[in-house]
Amino acid sequence: MISRWMYISLVILYGFLLGPFVIIFMASFGANANLAFPPQGFTLDWFANVFETSQFVDSFWISLQLALLSTIVSLVMGIPVAYALTRFQFAASGLVETVFSAPILVPGLVIGFAMLNFFVLLGDMGVMTGLFIGHTAILFPYSVRVVSASLRNLDPYVEDAAVSLGANRLRGFLLVVLPNMQAGIAAAFVLGFITSFNNVPVSLFLSGPGVTTLPVSMLSYLEYYFDPTIAALSTLLVIFTVVLVQTAERVLGLSQFV
Amino acid sequence: MPHLEIHNLTVSYDKDQPALAQFRLDVEPGELVSLLGPSGCGKTTTLRSVAGFIQPDAGRIVINGRDYTHLPPNQRDIGLVFQSYALFPHLTVFQNVAFGLRMRRVPKAEVNTRVANALKMVGLEAFANRRPAQLSGGQQQRVALARATVIEPQVLLLDEPLSNLDARLRVDMRQEIRRAQQQLGITTLYVTHDQVEAMSISDRVVVMNQGKIEQIGSPERIFAAPETVFVADFMGFDNRFNAAVESVQADKLTVNWGGAPTELRWHSRFGSPCPGAKAEVFFRADNASLSSSSDASGLAGQVILHTFHGNEVQYLVETQVGEFSIMQDSAGERFENGAAVTVQAQTQKWIAIVE
Repeated sequence: MISRWMYISLVILYGFLLGPFVIIFMASFGANANLAFPPQGFTLDWFANVFETSQFVDSFWISLQLALLSTIVSLVMGIPVAYALTRFQFAASGLVETVFSAPILVPGLVIGFAMLNFFVLLGDMGVMTGLFIGHTAILFPYSVRVVSASLRNLDPYVEDAAVSLGANRLRGFLLVVLPNMQAGIAAAFVLGFITSFNNVPVSLFLSGPGVTTLPVSMLSYLEYYFDPTIAALSTLLVIFTVVLVQTAERVLGLSQFV
Repeated sequence: MPHLEIHNLTVSYDKDQPALAQFRLDVEPGELVSLLGPSGCGKTTTLRSVAGFIQPDAGRIVINGRDYTHLPPNQRDIGLVFQSYALFPHLTVFQNVAFGLRMRRVPKAEVNTRVANALKMVGLEAFANRRPAQLSGGQQQRVALARATVIEPQVLLLDEPLSNLDARLRVDMRQEIRRAQQQLGITTLYVTHDQVEAMSISDRVVVMNQGKIEQIGSPERIFAAPETVFVADFMGFDNRFNAAVESVQADKLTVNWGGAPTELRWHSRFGSPCPGAKAEVFFRADNASLSSSSDASGLAGQVILHTFHGNEVQYLVETQVGEFSIMQDSAGERFENGAAVTVQAQTQKWIAIVE
């Protein structure tokens, strides 16, 4: 009996998880000009429309650049911080850890609004720069946390071993510590990329004329149109994300970490 | 000339209680010296100072006549084996052992032969391409030993290398470490908190407590003739009692043991004790025997508890001097709880310590 109930709850759970995607996926092929379910007819026009709408194509490139750049920079800054937090006990390490996790705890809308005000006070710095700083700031705690987790699994004495065998501290880090952080860095990269690429609240405030991220331009498109273009774009985004994660798993060996 | 000289080494993490105070030790070439003591006694601090990971506040470390005190750890030419093995998880066994040779830019062909020899020494030739995670604890520690010795270091340092292994494996590994150390003739410092391990593996043992040396000596001497109360206690003398010194000769002193004057070996840090001084008398559970109470000579007592150990039976006996633990051959006369017995001292193995 238990297995039957478990089976039923599983079906319900997956229904709620995957159902919306199935509906969006099917709706993106519907011929009707309004988003409708069940879809009538079959067309690939909406997919074509995605690529013909310059707003989407431009903001896709912006989102892609933004996600790559802010993820990489947040990792370059986050790896040393994670290393310091896991390897050294210092007076303020608890405080530092709390401060670094603040962007996870504060609501995204609050961060976005606060950053907008802050950047306005700082003066004209350009929309792209603002977006880049904002995204790097929200990704930073994820980088620190995920990389720290992989470092905690590594015996701290391996560095001493490397040094006693003749490596200086830097070589010890590069030859022994860094290779063992690879999986953690890969996980942080994927997590950071997806977080940035999907972010709405911060981007909403920091976007500006001509410089908009993809999720924000999808929102503004929805304000004026309700045709299946958004459904088609959503389908493409799901495929894009799945391919990205799968590739990262293959190339960087994510599975051994997660 | 000693191969490793440690001169008056002092290390303080905080001002009040130095982790290591005026530590002096000379280690002869090819000698294995154990640093034995409870946690916090300074033995690991000594080891990490010799390795160069701790910069001492005072004192010098000299290896082979050269002053090492201010040399960075990666230029010291020292082999280190850790309690946690500390193998590089992303490298194969071969690459782990080859690491130190690669750092020294040894030609590739030579690396191959030297690593192969090192792996042969520890019996792991067949495991060269495995990752550390695919090996057992004992195998991992063998790799660590091969990795530390393949560079032919000036000094080999082992920090509690057997503590993560189970009891049987510990004995095997102990012998293996000793054999390799003697075969290679490496001057070695061995840190442990296990007195049996220290005695069985060492040429000499240094017993440490609170950053200071309590006693240095051969395992036999440390075992039979502890010089301080701490050493006697740590080396497993099961029984102790306080007694007043009645008279002192050159190598014997007399105390009162249950009404009978008893001559004992003695040791004092401050020269010959005066009559009336307080002595702590130590003896092991097998340095006394029991007989039924009809026997007149000896101290009267009563069995409180007996525990069967196989070849031996351990008795807890209450006497007017105190409670003593006494081991008897299980094939001999047996006593039940509550039985009246006479304790007969084998006082030639007892020791009185005056501090």
